[in-house]
Amino acid sequence: MSNALVFCSFDAGRDGIPAGAEEVLTLARKIAAARGVDLDWLVVGAKPAAVDEIAARHGVAHVDQIDDAKLAEASPDLLVAALAGYVSQHSPGLLMMTQTFDARLIAPRLAGRVGAGVVMNVVDLEDTGGGVKATSTAYGGDTRVEYDIAGAAVVGVVADPLLPEPASSSSSPESRSVAVDLGGVDERIQVVQKASTEGPRLEDAQIIVAGGRGLQESENYALVERLAEALGGMAGASRPIVDDGWTDTAHQVGLTGKITRPVLYLAAGISGASQHMVGCTAAKTLVAINTDPDAAIFKYAQYGIVGDCLEVLPALTKAVKGG
Amino acid sequence: MRIVICVKEVLDPDAVDNYVLHGKLEIGDDGKTLTQTSIPRLMNAYDEQAIEAALRFRDNGVECTLDVVCVGADPTAILRQAAAMGADEITTVPVENGSVDGHAVAKILAAYVQSKGGADLILCGRQASDDDQGVVPALLGELLDMPVLTIARDVQLEGDRVRVTRVTPEGDEIVEASCPAIVTISNELGTPRYPTTMRTMKARRLQPDQATLESLSLSADDVRPVVAMSKQYVSSVQGNCEFIDGATADDQASALIAKLRAERVIE
Repeated sequence: MSNALVFCSFDAGRDGIPAGAEEVLTLARKIAAARGVDLDWLVVGAKPAAVDEIAARHGVAHVDQIDDAKLAEASPDLLVAALAGYVSQHSPGLLMMTQTFDARLIAPRLAGRVGAGVVMNVVDLEDTGGGVKATSTAYGGDTRVEYDIAGAAVVGVVADPLLPEPASSSSSPESRSVAVDLGGVDERIQVVQKASTEGPRLEDAQIIVAGGRGLQESENYALVERLAEALGGMAGASRPIVDDGWTDTAHQVGLTGKITRPVLYLAAGISGASQHMVGCTAAKTLVAINTDPDAAIFKYAQYGIVGDCLEVLPALTKAVKGG
Repeated sequence: MRIVICVKEVLDPDAVDNYVLHGKLEIGDDGKTLTQTSIPRLMNAYDEQAIEAALRFRDNGVECTLDVVCVGADPTAILRQAAAMGADEITTVPVENGSVDGHAVAKILAAYVQSKGGADLILCGRQASDDDQGVVPALLGELLDMPVLTIARDVQLEGDRVRVTRVTPEGDEIVEASCPAIVTISNELGTPRYPTTMRTMKARRLQPDQATLESLSLSADDVRPVVAMSKQYVSSVQGNCEFIDGATADDQASALIAKLRAERVIE
């Protein structure tokens, strides 16, 4: 297959680049090299300033951009139409996205529109001689499943265990403007009330202290919040204590909550059920505190303290403050 | 108003998690099928919440027919559960376990909806707790040319408009679309109701209606998987945790903070 491999971004994060973009580019480069095809980056909407520099570092051949006034407010019908227009012009063999919240809808809609196979939750990809083998998480991270797709494919990548690695030699990507006619496309979904983006987001936090059932009582969640504050980080939580109302869903880490990628993730009184771990295994350093030395969380942790988080959390807060 | 709710039968994810935690999950000779018969087969929990969302319309006085459909090997038990919860019609489209992918399921569901003269609203769970893919509602939206409003914690019908509160990473977002539309339901919707004993007893005798690929005018080619599952295995984790010892919690805490500072993880 001589068709290029395309990494596509449309979900402007805080700095305009979706979190995990470099991990996906690392994976994309591997497939492009195996196929002997170009790796291109398609930006839908405004092009963030950092794109060209990141693209060069990853050996990207072309940075394509679809810019249309209608794309200012990224909405599903327009995004899918823009991407489908690009696919019909360029026929990429594989189109990859970082699996953002929006990509969970856009990727399968696009695949349906253009007749490609779609796989989400992808953690690894292998070229199979024209086709692709995608490894995805299943059962909330308990198992891995391998899927074979013979023809063109759209995949959503969760950057879970991947480390971004720049190409051995950088490239000078050529910028191309791609025109897609969106004149006849009307968005069918109207936003009545936007989500408020006030305050920092757990997804962007560099340090997260998270608590679970081991805190025993709702009041003890304050111990998590105090340590988070002392470390200049944010407080997270496992789903069971969110379901019980100890804190609100904005703090929930895991499969149905936030997928975080902090430098430090400190899990206190969390057993390490896979549904939770999906949301924090991308942490650079994971520390676990649990009374049970056999708790699953210690399998993921770099550092562990076997002890009662009700004692260890205040001790850590004290130690951070230099007391 | 005709509301179709798509449900899937899955292996109890908590039971699977439990077997994995104890290192005892068994995978069959085909290298992909979970074989333990002791793992209960349940209705996907998000789909149960989709039924609950539909029942709340009826609670609020919306006149509607609730049609629950399942593509699967033998989903009679979960369809009876749906009937006990309040579904008016239950239908199965039998396929062999593992023989169809999301693309095929979407085609079957689209053909089913069309065979019934369409639907005003289609509700699905946000994803199935077995493969976690969550692609069927979007693929169905493409086939039926309907908008897909995802990850809802609340759904309201106002005339021919559907208003959905979505749980986004930035917080709740409220969106609207004209029916017919597809909405996917998230766990934030709340606990689904438990059927009364009386309704459960009554549902026990019900036989689901049956549609077949043939009756839906689908050929074997139409439902051939595009995405073929070839292997499944238990995720391995590195397991090289360094335990921080110490006589007291304060000792452990100081030692840990010193390590994290030395590695410049924290300042």
